Amino acid sequence: MLFNSLVFFIFLPIVFTIYWGFGRWKLKIQNLFLLVASYVFYGWWDYRFLSLIMLSTLVDYLIGQGMESATRKFRRKAYLWISILFNLGMLGFFKYYNFFVESLSVSLQLLGFQESSLWTLNILLPVGISFYTFQTLSYSLDIYKGKLKPTRDFIAFATFVSFFPQLVAGPIERASNLLPQINTKRTFSYAQAADGLKLILWGLFKKVAIADSLAVIVDDVFLNYADYSGSTLALGLIFFSFQIYGDFSGYSDISIGTAKLFGIELMSNFRFPYFSRNISEFWHRWHVSLSTWFRDYLYIPLGGSREGRVKAVRNIFIIFLVSGFWHGANWTFLIWGGIHASLYLPVFLMGKNRSYVGEHLGHGSLITNFLDFLKLLQTFILVTLSWTYFRAENLASANGYLGRLFGNLGIEEYHHPRGYRMIDYFILLGIFVLYEYLIRHNERKPVPFRNKVLRLWIYTLLVLGLLLFYDSGSDRSFIYFQF
Amino acid sequence: MKISFYGLVILCLLEILVRVFHLYKDTPSRMIDDYGVEKWVPNQTGYCVTGNRRQNVGKYRINSSGFNSYREFEPTEYNFELALIGDSFIEGFHQDYDKSIGKILESKLPGVIVYEFGYAGYDLASEFHLLNTYDSIFNKIDKIVIYLDYPDDLKRDNYSVSRERLRLESGVFRMMKQSKLLVYTQNIGLLGVPINSLSYLKTMISKILMPDKHTIPSEMISVRSNEDIHFRNFKMLWETQANSKEKIMFLIDRASFPKSLQLYFQTQKIQVIDYGIPFEYAEKPVTLIYDQHWNSYGRELVSQAIADQVNLR
Repeated sequence: MLFNSLVFFIFLPIVFTIYWGFGRWKLKIQNLFLLVASYVFYGWWDYRFLSLIMLSTLVDYLIGQGMESATRKFRRKAYLWISILFNLGMLGFFKYYNFFVESLSVSLQLLGFQESSLWTLNILLPVGISFYTFQTLSYSLDIYKGKLKPTRDFIAFATFVSFFPQLVAGPIERASNLLPQINTKRTFSYAQAADGLKLILWGLFKKVAIADSLAVIVDDVFLNYADYSGSTLALGLIFFSFQIYGDFSGYSDISIGTAKLFGIELMSNFRFPYFSRNISEFWHRWHVSLSTWFRDYLYIPLGGSREGRVKAVRNIFIIFLVSGFWHGANWTFLIWGGIHASLYLPVFLMGKNRSYVGEHLGHGSLITNFLDFLKLLQTFILVTLSWTYFRAENLASANGYLGRLFGNLGIEEYHHPRGYRMIDYFILLGIFVLYEYLIRHNERKPVPFRNKVLRLWIYTLLVLGLLLFYDSGSDRSFIYFQF
Repeated sequence: MKISFYGLVILCLLEILVRVFHLYKDTPSRMIDDYGVEKWVPNQTGYCVTGNRRQNVGKYRINSSGFNSYREFEPTEYNFELALIGDSFIEGFHQDYDKSIGKILESKLPGVIVYEFGYAGYDLASEFHLLNTYDSIFNKIDKIVIYLDYPDDLKRDNYSVSRERLRLESGVFRMMKQSKLLVYTQNIGLLGVPINSLSYLKTMISKILMPDKHTIPSEMISVRSNEDIHFRNFKMLWETQANSKEKIMFLIDRASFPKSLQLYFQTQKIQVIDYGIPFEYAEKPVTLIYDQHWNSYGRELVSQAIADQVNLR
C-alpha cells in the first residue's frame, strides 16, 4: 500500500477510527489491532511475503528469549550469530544473490574460465526487507550488549517489527525507542494527532509536488543524457537531488506523522540535509536512522576512531561502502559509498567531522553568513555530483553522464517532455528552499508559526501546491521502496 | 471538531484561490434540441483552461445557434458563405473564439463569410444529421467543409441521439459544477481516482454477483476488418444522408486514410482538402503541447489549405 495512494487514504481513517473510537482498549488489544492493520498494509502489496516478516519476527523473538535465559557468554554469542546469519542471510538471498552470481561469472570469465550457465534466480525483492531486517537485528544486538531487556510479549514484539507507518522504508527504529512505547498503553492526544496531520501534509507536498513533478524531467534527462548538453545534465542532477530528498524525506514525514496519529513517536530521519556545511554534517542530517545504525552497530564495534588513524580510515571506508551496498546490489551504489567516504575523509582528518553537530545554519539569526553559504553550496554540489552514481542504471551510464556534463559545457534551453513551463519548477524549488530555510530549526514542526491566520494560509497553499503539481498521468512509488 | 473546522476553512480558501486565478475550466451547458441535434446551450461565454497550471487558456463564446463562434449564423442568398463542420478541432475551445480557423479563413478569403459548426464528439453521422435537420440554413450556404478524422468519425453508419454526454448536465454533476474546486480537481484528474476506484469496485461486485453464464467462443464471432467497417460506414452515410453533394468538401489528412477510401473519393469525385501535406512540411510544431489540437500555426496552415481549394474552385 502506498502512502500516496487512495487505498491508504481509505485505510488510514478506518484504522484510526477503530483504534481510538472503540472505547478504552487494553494494551494487548491495541497492539494486536495495530499488528493486524500492519499485516493488512503489507499484505496489500503481496501477502506471500508476509510469511518472511512473520518468520523474521519469530526467529528474533526466540533468539531474544534464548539470550536472556543463556547464562554463559558463549551461548549468548551463538544466539547473536544465529540472528545475524539469519537476517543477513535472508537479506543476502533476496537482495544480493543475483548480484554475487553475476559478479562471480564475470570474474571467472576474466580469468579465462568458460561460464556456460548463469545460476541467477528470478526473485522478487520483498518491499522493506532491508529495513525490517535491520530493525530486528538491532533488537538482538542491543540484547546481547545488555542495553535492552527482551520482551516476553510476542504480540508487542511483532508489532514493533511490522508497525506499518515505518515498515517498508523506515525510519529504521531501535527497539530501545519503539518497544517501550509499544509496551505502554497509548492515550489519544489531540496535539500529537494534529502534529501528525501537519507532518503528513508536509510529507505529501514533498512527495507529490516536489519529487513526483521533478521525476518526469529527471527520468527524461537521465534516459537521453547523450542528447543533452552540460547545462541540461546539470539541471537533471540538481532536480534529482531535490527529487530524492522530496521523495524519501516526504515518506519519512508521512511515516512519522502517521505514527503520531497512533500515539507513537518515531525518530527523525531527515534534518534539512541540504543546509549542511560539510559532508559530515550532511550525514548527520540525511537518512539519520540508517547512518546512526551503521555508526552504532558497525563503526563503533569495529573500533571507530579510538584505535588510531589508520583503523579509523579503514572503518570509515567500511561503513560508507556497506551503506552504499545496502541501497542496492549494484556497483553504482558501491561507488557512491566510496565517493562519500572519500569526501568524508578530509573532513575527518582535519578534525571537523563534529564541527556542526547540533547546530543549525545561520544559528540565532535570520540570514546565514557568506562563508557558511559558500560551504553549503560546496557541499550541495559535491553531494549532487555523487548522486549521478546513485541514479544511473549502471557504471557506464554514470560515467557517460559525468563525462558529458563536464565535456560538453554548452548552454541550451530545456523543454519539459510533457510541455509544461519550466519556470514553474524553478519558482516551486525557490519557494521550497526558502521555506525550508525558515523552518530549519525543527524538522518535526513544518508549520512552526504562532499566527493562526498565517498557519491556515500555509496549509492552504500546501494543498494548492499539491493540486498544481499533481500529475494524474504518473503513479509513482517511493524510490526507497526498491531498497 | 477543531480539525474539521480548519479543514472547512482551508477548503473555502482553496475555492477562493481557484476562482481568483481561474484555474478551472468553464464548461458550457449542453443541450439536445427538438430535432435531436446535440449542441451547446446558446449565448454562453467563458474560459476553457487546460492543465493544472493554466497551461492553455481559450475564451469561448457560444452564439445564439449553440456553436462557438464570434459570428451569428444568418445566411443569405446573396453572400458567399462557407460552413465549417467538425468536432473539437473546429469547435476550437483551445483557442480564443476570435482567433478561430473561421476568422483566419475570412481574412484569407475577402468577402466570404464563414460559419463554424464545431462540437466536440461530432462524427460524420451527426454532421450529416445536422446538415439535413437544418437544411433551411445550409441550403443558403455555398460551400460546406466537413472535417473528417479517420477512423474516429466513421464508427457508425447512422445517427441516433446519445444522452451520454448530457448526463453531465444533471443531478450530482450539475451540483458539483457549482464548486470550482471540484471542477478543478476533476479537470486535473484527481477526482477521477476515487470515481474510477468506485466503478472498478462496482464492476468487481457485479462480476462476483452475476458472473457471465454464456461466453461466445471466439471462433464463432465473425470478424471483419475495421477498415472494411469504416469504409462501409462512409459509403452508407455518403449515399443515403448526403444531400447537395457538389457543395461538400472533406477536410482530411489523406495519408491517414486507407487506400480503399482514397480510391472511393476519386471514383465518386468527392472533393477533398488535404491538410496533411502542409503539416508534413511544417517548419514548427502544428499542435498544442498540452493536447493534440492545432495551435495557431496549425490553424494557419489548415486555413490556408481550405482557402487555396476554395479559390481554386
